[in-house]
Amino acid sequence: MRAVTRPILIVVMLALLLAPLGLPPFAMTLLTEALILGLFAMSLDLMVGYTRLISFGHAAAYGMGAYACGWMLLHTGMPLLFAVFAAALLTGVIAIAVGWMCTLATGISFSMLTLAFAQLLYAISFKWTSVTGGSDGLAGIPRTSGPLGFAALSGKSGFYYFVLACLVGGFLVCFALVRSPFGAVLRGIRENEAKTTALGYNTRLYKIAVVATSYALGGLAGALYAPFAGFANTELLFWLLSGQALIMVIVGGAGTLVGPILGAAFFMLMEHQLSSLTEAWALYFGLIFIAFVLFAPQGIWGLATAWLRRDAKAS
Amino acid sequence: MSKKVGPSRRAMLSVGLAGAATVASPGILRLTAKAENAPIKIGMPLALTGALGSVGQQLKRGAELYAKLQNAKGGILGRPIELLIEDTAGNPANCVRKAQEMVERQNCRLFTGITLSSEALAVVPKLAEWDAVFMSSDNGDGRLTAESFVPNFFRANISGPMGTRAVSLYLRSGKAQKFYALGLDYAWGHNSVQVFEDEVKKSKKDFLGKVFAPTGTKDYSSYITKIRQSGADAVFLVLQGDDNNAFLSQSQQYRLSEKVRLLTEIVDLASIRAVGDAALGLIGSSRYSFTYDYPLNNEFVALWKKEHDGAVPDTFEGEQWQAMKVLEAGITKAGGIEAAKLRPALEDIEIESVKGKVHIRKCDHQGVQQGFMVEVVKQEGIATPIPKVIATFPGESTTPKCNSMTFDD
Repeated sequence: MRAVTRPILIVVMLALLLAPLGLPPFAMTLLTEALILGLFAMSLDLMVGYTRLISFGHAAAYGMGAYACGWMLLHTGMPLLFAVFAAALLTGVIAIAVGWMCTLATGISFSMLTLAFAQLLYAISFKWTSVTGGSDGLAGIPRTSGPLGFAALSGKSGFYYFVLACLVGGFLVCFALVRSPFGAVLRGIRENEAKTTALGYNTRLYKIAVVATSYALGGLAGALYAPFAGFANTELLFWLLSGQALIMVIVGGAGTLVGPILGAAFFMLMEHQLSSLTEAWALYFGLIFIAFVLFAPQGIWGLATAWLRRDAKAS
Repeated sequence: MSKKVGPSRRAMLSVGLAGAATVASPGILRLTAKAENAPIKIGMPLALTGALGSVGQQLKRGAELYAKLQNAKGGILGRPIELLIEDTAGNPANCVRKAQEMVERQNCRLFTGITLSSEALAVVPKLAEWDAVFMSSDNGDGRLTAESFVPNFFRANISGPMGTRAVSLYLRSGKAQKFYALGLDYAWGHNSVQVFEDEVKKSKKDFLGKVFAPTGTKDYSSYITKIRQSGADAVFLVLQGDDNNAFLSQSQQYRLSEKVRLLTEIVDLASIRAVGDAALGLIGSSRYSFTYDYPLNNEFVALWKKEHDGAVPDTFEGEQWQAMKVLEAGITKAGGIEAAKLRPALEDIEIESVKGKVHIRKCDHQGVQQGFMVEVVKQEGIATPIPKVIATFPGESTTPKCNSMTFDD
């Protein structure tokens, strides 16, 4: 399978690297947003696809990253590069506590706890007006370039490459993680947690670690979104976004890392294009989602690799 | 043994082409026309769905009728008007993305109708980068012409603080002494309630308390209980769309209006239609009312009725119409739509509109115009209640000081 997918990934990577040279401005805007959402969906895949920890509250990671980064850029004059990583780190650290709390439960109770935590943050974002700006959120977030020659990051192409680098970096971290012995334990938890425990692994610690890693990467995506859009608001913490992230993972193909990135791009482009055509776009997207769940449960990436393998055999 | 297991060249090529086509598709549609009589594109990323969908729909209808009639007259400066209308569902993220698309893909440099104040607040910091002018037709948030003011932002509509001021001026001579306030928990709700609180205190009356409900609240019973328990003579409401309808319907069930006078920052026909007699007796300021007896307004109402099978224009249809008229006057004076020319042309411009004189003052780009107080009453021959104008106040007394949300007296 890797022999089939590796050349594809190289071609896609080259295309992404060259994209700013040939794409018109708005296509670049869409692509940058798609990559940010891709990173967000991929971070959720670590929990959903590899550990079967279904989170209904992943927006918490995205929103926390966005607010933390936005606040630092607005109020501390910290350069973009540092603010983004500091926000991701902060999200990861907070997620240790979240992971500790949520992993007290399993199955649907775990999901509900993640949802509860995200909704708690959503409520706080409304009420803590002095920091979060209340219902208006934080607007006019700058891309402060900073003193160390990072001026290019504040431009359109520079920011795009920064996002791309974060996505690729995030992907490599996840890829290394799921192929390591740590990843094997995660898969063990996914397939049979009781057996993994019986083998002597403290599965709860592993689960807390994966929640923290997943939230840190989700926080990184949120931290990129704030300076990208120039604002952060309560919608970024709302359960709707958590649901959309799950849809991205499922439509793209859970447990594949690449799939959720494609799922996110697909979701964003479909939402964008369908909402231009009809006010009932959510209805059509719902139908597409149902079709995927029923007829292609392995998602876009599953379909693509199956097709490529068949094609490779035929030739 | 060494047979290649990778994908065929054909497969690679088709994947590559499909990928390229996907990312490049927006570019294919890009328009670069810049001819003398190229259309004047006006971007309207509107909340056509969601809790404030009814407001977005009104803005859309108001702009569409204007564009239709103006285009029949040859457009502006001989250039046809093209409206770029998209649904944002009231989400600032969508709004910024759609607006950005209009700028980058369609070369649009004018915006109007952005529905929620939170959307407007997200868009205004980008106007300089886009080199675009935004003519607000419904954003109530006072900060847009105060601390969040940017030079490319103009407001043709009555703002929240202006509406609230009209209510408080009206109350100065009234009997009610004790007030409570209920607002939507976002920008507009908060600052209108704040202005009201200040005004009540200034007029030496009692302000008993305030409460905020999240947008999309379906059950207002606990808020109604709070209002009743407060012992207020009157409650000031800053609600909109579905929330307003839900509140008014429930307050009728609880017979709230028998105990407490209902005042509102904004009286909207759509709400009256939705809740029917539950709106009777409601007193509030109006940003626009079809019942205002003024020649240009009567003309507009007649035009509207003709186009819409006898239906009368609603609040934001009138406001959007006025905003388009201000924009038209600015473009005509500037001789083009470039921000560098249009901005000075709009500053200090004065037009006669459906609400009387509108003067866009230079200091904060707020449209100075009369304030209206209306009462929802039944009129013979009309099934649903209507908002009847009961008082007007000159623009000078209802418009806050420059770049602020406060008033001198």
